[in-house]
Parts: sequence; structure tokens; C-alpha cells
Amino acid sequence: MNKKRVLFLMLAGVLLHGVALAQNVRVAAAANLQSVITVLQKDFKQKTGIVIEPIVGSSGKLVAQISNGAPFDVFLSADMSFPETLFKNGFAEKKPVVYAAGSLIICSSQNIGFINWERLLLSARIKKIALANPAIAPYGKAATELLQQKGILDDVQSKIVYGESISQVNTYITTGVVDLGFTTQSLIKETGSKTKLYYQVIDPKQYEPILQGLVLLKHAANNPNAEKFYQYILSPAAKKIFTAYGYRML
Amino acid sequence: MDLSPIWLTLKLAGITTLILLFVGLPFAWWLSRGRSFLKIIIEAIITMPLVLPPSVLGFYLLLAFSPQHGLGKWLQGVFNVQFVFSFQGLVLASVIYSIPFMVGPVKSALQQLPSALAEASYTLGKTEWQTFRYVLLPNIKPSLLTAAVLTFAHTLGEFGVVLMIGGNIPGVTRVASIAVYDAVEQRDYDMANNYSLILFAITFVLVIAVFVFNKYQAKSPLA
Repeated sequence: MNKKRVLFLMLAGVLLHGVALAQNVRVAAAANLQSVITVLQKDFKQKTGIVIEPIVGSSGKLVAQISNGAPFDVFLSADMSFPETLFKNGFAEKKPVVYAAGSLIICSSQNIGFINWERLLLSARIKKIALANPAIAPYGKAATELLQQKGILDDVQSKIVYGESISQVNTYITTGVVDLGFTTQSLIKETGSKTKLYYQVIDPKQYEPILQGLVLLKHAANNPNAEKFYQYILSPAAKKIFTAYGYRML
Repeated sequence: MDLSPIWLTLKLAGITTLILLFVGLPFAWWLSRGRSFLKIIIEAIITMPLVLPPSVLGFYLLLAFSPQHGLGKWLQGVFNVQFVFSFQGLVLASVIYSIPFMVGPVKSALQQLPSALAEASYTLGKTEWQTFRYVLLPNIKPSLLTAAVLTFAHTLGEFGVVLMIGGNIPGVTRVASIAVYDAVEQRDYDMANNYSLILFAITFVLVIAVFVFNKYQAKSPLA
């Protein structure tokens, strides 16, 4: 083989590799979607044959990464303000749209009875309460607002430990290193029969609704599959999956 | 700017270094004398934190100290101490995490001492402990200082373990490295930069000090 031909083949390889990659869609997904995203991924692949590569983390972290040029195509946030920030700063094609509303639950690996959970949180038997970091995780923000509104935030402050995202809160709850935590309802579906969890859904009237926003990012400009996935998330098929995982549809 | 993460980091590094001076020195001494299969295994275990991702250590500590079962439950029940989400937990993790930095250099230095030193001391009727304390240790001062400073500096750089078992509690477990991570996630780059610069300055001065100090000491390379 002469040099030119080798070079040509190498170049062709690189280019083809690029094309192959462009067919996949990189989806940045908020930590509360950890389990539902894999179900959506499978369903979408079955329907279209398109491969999704999910990158899961706290919404704040993902926004920081996208703002610094992370090559993601679609962003599924846990709130509206993060995707709005991205849109304002020119990282998204269109304004964000709501794809689901999250449900906050109080949850524990022990059967402690949540009938009067405000009093329970104040009692001496509860030593550690897990919350997602309210500055970067919308579920943590909602939980903080809830405690504030109940007037017990200051009293329980010394018991609170912060997970860097809702996933870490879920780890803390399921391993039992905390007595209880505030998390997303999808955790219950996700753990299934693996770990017995006890929980109570928090009345949605008691906190600002967790409206989860979706944006198509500028990076997806020459990837038509990204647009397909974006449409799929808003389709009845995806809504059915979200509902099964405890999300509310507005 | 909230300086408490910096103080907390310095406090953690200081306490860790002190504990390791007490625990690590006898250990290094024991390891430096003779070889046995047991010693090889123990030394390998002590070296593991150098090569294992801190998240691995954090993960096992999280499981071991969960108040729900086993060791964690016993500690909680008997002593009412909790090693997850507490400062003492970070101290314990840091001791494990930084142990190779204390034991390694001290052990090498002890092995390089001429055996005549200890033997002379024994013939003069000194006990093993007295020999170690008054003859051997003074002879490896430079290595001791190097080990202590590196242990301190290494603990300043701890991140993965704290992220796993710390819980990011202000004034308790929010050390400087975590504060940097947090600030970046909140896109507060000024704050991240402030913490980072302080950390950089402290560690740089420490490392330079070790190099300069070793240069003026005839023996004792960084080993």
C-alpha cells in the first residue's frame, strides 16, 4: 500500500466515524431521570433504531458543562430555569418546553410512618435527613421550600445532609445512611423489589410545581435524529412512560 | 467570601497528619525491620490508597458505616458516633487515604540507616523503644518532616472520598475541594477561583518548602 492510499483510508475512516457518531443522540438528563431515561432509550430505539447516549447528572452540573461547550444534543432538565438560562445564552434553538412535572416524596428505608412527618423530622430518632443541593438540584430546592413553608427548616438544619444530585440522595436513602430523604417519586418504581422503601407523596399544593423543561441544543444543528428524539419526548408514548414513573402530565 | 471551607480543610489536614505521626511511625518502624510475607501484604494494603480511586474508598466507607447494619450500627449503638456525614468520618477517611505518604518515606529512611546505630544503642542497654525514640528518629528528621508535610498536602487535595461520605454540610464536611466543585456547578467561577487560588498557594508553598529543605539536607531524597 502506498502512503497516499493509507492516508486516504485513514481520512475516510475518520470521516465515516464522524458520520456514524452523528447518528447517535447525546442526551443530557437531570439526575431524577436516571431510571426513566433508560426505558425511554429502549422504547425510542425500538421505534426508530436510533441510539441515545444519556449523560446523567444534576441539572446545574449539566448546564455548566453545556455552557462550556459539552457536545450534547438534547437537555432534559429538572426545572425550567436552567434550560431558560441556556436559551438566553444562545445554547438552544428554541424556548424550553415542559415535558413533565415531578413529584416530591418523603422516603425512608425503614418503616417509620409518615402520617405526621413534620413532627417526625423534629423528633430525636431522626438524625439525618438527605436533600439534594438546592442550588443545583430543583428537587432539593422544592424540598427546602417545603421545609421553610412548614416553618421547620431552621430546626432541622443541623440534621440535613446534601447530596450533590438527587441520585446521591437516592443512594443515601436506599443504603440507609440517612434516616430519610426528600426525593423524586420515580425512585420507588426504579428500586422495585430490590429494596423495600417506605414513602409518602408530598401534596403538590405544598411546593412550587417542579416543571421539567426540555431544550434542543445548538449542537444538534446537523443531527436530524436529535430533533426526532425531541419530538418523541413530547409524544403520547413517552408521556405514558413518564406517568408510569410517577411524573405528572400538565 | 466564606472562608470556613479553607479552615475546615486545614483543620482536617492538621489532625490527619498528627494522627498519622502517632500511628504511622511505629508502623513504619515495624515494616522497616526484616521481611515476612505478612509484612509484604500489610505494606501492599497500606500502599493501595495511592493507586485506588478515592471513590472506591468512599464507597466502602459508605457501606461500612451505614447506621443500618453491621459496624456502623454497632458504632452508633455503643459509642453513638457516626462516621458518615461527620467530621470524624472525614478524619478517619483521610487517615486511610494519606497513610502511604507517612509510612512510605519514613520506612525507607529507617531502612537506610546503618544497622550499627541500633546495635550500638542495644549494647549500651537501651530498650527497643528507647532506641527508636532517641536514636533512630532523630537521625531521620528530614524524612519525617517531608512525610508530615506531604501527608498534610495530600489531605488538602482530598475530594472523591469526601464527595461520597461527606454530605456537603457547611462547617462540618464542606471542605475547600468540595466548595470549588459546588461553586463550579453553580457557575460561580469567581468563588471557585478564590478557593482554588488559596489551595494552590498553600500546596505550592508546602511542596517548595519540602524541596528546598531537602536540598539543604545532605541525605534524604523524596523517598
